[in-house]
Amino acid sequence: MANARALDRRRRSVRNIRKITRTMELIATARFKKAMDRSVAARDYTQQLAKILKNIAAVGGDLSHPLLESRPTQRSAVLVLTGNRGLCGGYNSNAVKQAMGLLGQWSGDNTETHVTVSGKRGINALKFRGITIDEEHLDFEDKPAFNEVAPIGTSYLNAYIQGDIDRLDVVYTRFVNIAKQEAIVETLLPLKPAVDEEHASTQSGHLASEEYDFYPSAESILEEILPASFQSRLFKCFLDSAVSEQVARMVAMKGATENASGIISDLSRRYNRARQTQITGEIMEILGGVEALKQ
Amino acid sequence: MATTTSQKLIRCIIVTPEQTVLNTEAAGVSLPLDDGSRGIAAGHAPFIGRLGAGEVQLHGVAGGTGTETTIRTFVEGGFVEVGHNAVTVITQGATDSGAMKIQEVQAELENLLQQKAVGDDQIDALLKAESAARARLRAARQKRK
Repeated sequence: MANARALDRRRRSVRNIRKITRTMELIATARFKKAMDRSVAARDYTQQLAKILKNIAAVGGDLSHPLLESRPTQRSAVLVLTGNRGLCGGYNSNAVKQAMGLLGQWSGDNTETHVTVSGKRGINALKFRGITIDEEHLDFEDKPAFNEVAPIGTSYLNAYIQGDIDRLDVVYTRFVNIAKQEAIVETLLPLKPAVDEEHASTQSGHLASEEYDFYPSAESILEEILPASFQSRLFKCFLDSAVSEQVARMVAMKGATENASGIISDLSRRYNRARQTQITGEIMEILGGVEALKQ
Repeated sequence: MATTTSQKLIRCIIVTPEQTVLNTEAAGVSLPLDDGSRGIAAGHAPFIGRLGAGEVQLHGVAGGTGTETTIRTFVEGGFVEVGHNAVTVITQGATDSGAMKIQEVQAELENLLQQKAVGDDQIDALLKAESAARARLRAARQKRK
């Protein structure tokens, strides 16, 4: 039978751990709500851009732009979005797993890759697996700002237009709903306007495209709107990752708190039993002593 | 929609990648299009245009005490969609003109003027940045008049 005092000490330390995980859960919940609000607020921009793109497509017939042309992939860029911290369940490892799958595929095809990773966890995990990382970002936490994401997007756009890269894939954790987030690979370059149109069709109340005039011209607007659309999609990936990380941490910490509570009740039961055994033992000893004295 | 037309007000929405900055009704809106300013009032024909750097001015916005005010917002390029008695400005950056400081904007412009660019792309980018900084300076000065 375990020592009652040792059990009590263990129970106290588990209680402290539970306090920490409970606090982390509350913090993650608060951050998740804020990140979610930011993500929702950013949705308008994407929808409005998609609406304009749809109108141009309807008027101009075919959309042709260097960003929309797909070329045979010789050099591919991969951007992996992970967190700077752990204790968030499978959030980081799932993204790393996806990235490893993609990189394995590219190395099988002998495609040159340019790897950019955001987040300390992803950087360490990929380095450990022997991946050469060309660019690292550590400054994205739960509040990615558009001003910080835009330079990354611009450098990818320039590289794509100049032919330094033929494709850009982003590995990130998409936020589907509070119960579901999935690590996915999304191809951002070449751009696919089809996805935008899908979003735009959910909008209601816009005019038939023929009614719109374009200033200065539909082509000139298209030239500007595609980079903007790319930037907003890249920004959405960062926002989704931030939301997913907080949800993952919230769920992981909730589980940890529940586990700690389970361990505490188990330890309490064992402690009480050990204490009772000790008391019974002591009583038996006293009784034994009394009996001996009587004789 | 019909009621807003009869009141001769037009809804103006400014969205940036991060949030919807402004969503209000005004009697008139003046937009900094790529090739010059354009005034929009209720019932304007629908169009989609490219914006340059400049001020979006909302005239005759109903104030809290029944007075009418003008709201000035500086935008750094983007697009505008006019239709359905609404003006939607889509821009990557929008700042309240009243919050801009002349000295800071002036310093930024001088800094740009001293930079040297090599090659067509760099020259284009620098010229664009310079004209945006000039527009910002104009907007910052205007509020003091």
